[in-house]
Amino acid sequence: MDVALKIWRFDPQSGERVLREYEVDAPEWACLLDVLDLIKDKHDGTLAYRKSCRMMICGSCGMRMDGRAVLACKERMKPIVDAGHVPVISAMGNMPVLKDLVVDMGPFWGKIRSVKPWLDPGYDEVAEKERVVSQQEMNVIHKEALCIMCGCCVSECNSMEADPEFTGPAALAKGFRFVGDARDQADVERLNALNGEHGIWDCTRCYFCNERCPKGVDPRDAIAKLGAESVKQGIDHDMGAKHAKWFVRSAETTGWLRETELVPKTQGLVSAIKQTGFALKLARKGKVPPPFPPHVAADVKEARALRELTQEQGREGALGIVQGEHALGRIEFTEEAGVRENAPEIQPGVEPPHAEG
Amino acid sequence: MNRVAYYTGCLAALSAKELNSATKALAPKLGLELVELESVTCCGAGDIHEAEPDYYLHLNARILAYAEATGCETLMTICNVCTLNLRQANWQLKNDQELRARVNKNLKTVGVPAYSGEVEVRHLLWLIAEGDGYEQLKTAAHKGLKGLKVAPFYGCQILRPSKILGFEDPDRPWSLEAIIQACGGEPIDYPAKIKCCGFPIIQAREEVALSELIQPIEQAVEAGADAMVTPCPLCHLSLDAWQLKLRKSTGKDFAMPILHLSQLIGVAAGLEESELKFKRHVVSVDPVTQKLEV
Repeated sequence: MDVALKIWRFDPQSGERVLREYEVDAPEWACLLDVLDLIKDKHDGTLAYRKSCRMMICGSCGMRMDGRAVLACKERMKPIVDAGHVPVISAMGNMPVLKDLVVDMGPFWGKIRSVKPWLDPGYDEVAEKERVVSQQEMNVIHKEALCIMCGCCVSECNSMEADPEFTGPAALAKGFRFVGDARDQADVERLNALNGEHGIWDCTRCYFCNERCPKGVDPRDAIAKLGAESVKQGIDHDMGAKHAKWFVRSAETTGWLRETELVPKTQGLVSAIKQTGFALKLARKGKVPPPFPPHVAADVKEARALRELTQEQGREGALGIVQGEHALGRIEFTEEAGVRENAPEIQPGVEPPHAEG
Repeated sequence: MNRVAYYTGCLAALSAKELNSATKALAPKLGLELVELESVTCCGAGDIHEAEPDYYLHLNARILAYAEATGCETLMTICNVCTLNLRQANWQLKNDQELRARVNKNLKTVGVPAYSGEVEVRHLLWLIAEGDGYEQLKTAAHKGLKGLKVAPFYGCQILRPSKILGFEDPDRPWSLEAIIQACGGEPIDYPAKIKCCGFPIIQAREEVALSELIQPIEQAVEAGADAMVTPCPLCHLSLDAWQLKLRKSTGKDFAMPILHLSQLIGVAAGLEESELKFKRHVVSVDPVTQKLEV
């Protein structure tokens, strides 16, 4: 089959960025990586990209196709060719481009290193008897252990775009892989390090990481597990944790969010007072609902009783998320077909987003 | 009439009352009979999922159980965050009998009806972007939008994770554009329409949130939009109210009117100001109402 591609080329010496189009004859089973190999082999030996295993294990060939971070070895080209589409290939986002499709993963590895990705078993001398980990214990970190550190989750991370220092989805998922490990004894220390600036509460819940991960790690869920473990351990000094806890308090007292009290409960009274000017402007438009009398849901005592029950039943912390993973893994189809019959023809105003050169 | 259980969520009952009133006034024109749920609570907004996930599951199971008790097949939401939280819990309860049995036992203990897993959670957007809902929309929007240039802002949690939401391609969504066009407006395209508005961290990490928020507003202005529309009251609050803070931090006054989905359709369907309540917006909607002479 004839495959056409557009590739954002970047030459670090001249600083030139150009979008080049290529056409190659490729076998029907070809994936994006095969096509890049053919281009490099037959058309342009200067094209730069990373690859190794060609089977979704090594995590080397992360790049963007039409603005989405993908593993080049996982994307089959036939459906794209059949649709008559010419995809745009570019380097991953949130990482500096070195040449063409090769990004500098230095900052990425720095963040992975910062979460101390090794087991801290809490002893100096190895015990005589082997420590056996049960399947049940391993299930807690099963998904996070699947990570191949390709960087696809980081590529479109909205919080990292806004704050390049944000620890980010890959490193935080790695962090939970050790916090949740039954053999690790440093969970409190780890959680303390991951709270605070650039840590877990920086996540804006855009869910791009879950959407992009080619291995089903679901980094956003790992971040939520870290949050849940922090709250369980009483590590709640971060404003993010205070914010989250106020929703729990609201639900068990009035049923609905006590919206106006959210600011002082999150930021503390002093910071909240500094927001008075802003709050008054909002209040004039009715955007600051009076906390009294509270908006109380009918039968709210049921919601309160449910909290008491769940606290007694020992599934707090990450377990509360892990228990639902089996079911979420069984979503085999989406019931809404999402037919495009009403979709208007949109002329995209811009090319798909591309990585910074 | 399509009878649906109606979940307002927190904001539409509090700071975004205009969304609730516009939705209620609009629903019959779209062939929707809304059955209000009396004793439901907050879905947890992702925050209870992060603080006490087991409690999150039970709160959402309780909402689903009361929705099922109305006899409606659909639980209609008008907020992205409610949509994701309820659908996520729903899949967990539908696909895992053991988990559902445990949750139901707890619901029974506190006097809530059991949930059998038969309810579908759907956002208003999805009910009117295709099929019968879309046909009703075309009829309802008789006054049109006179070619108003509208920038659709989807927000995150109605697109991603697509495994749980799954209505449309999360990278090339079309539903808002279809609705804008059916109402007689001109959809404006810009890349940040699928990105985050920053709202979940606007209290805890304001600076990070604001540098996310500015992107869609700036791009919509550049693309020549008269207004933006969003299906999420949290995105609305951040795009509308926090635009004030952007003015302070960047010195730029975007003056971009932000409409709730129900308000945009409401204008095209001839709803009154008493129902649309544009006066409750922080950024003036006057440029839009003047252009449309309403």
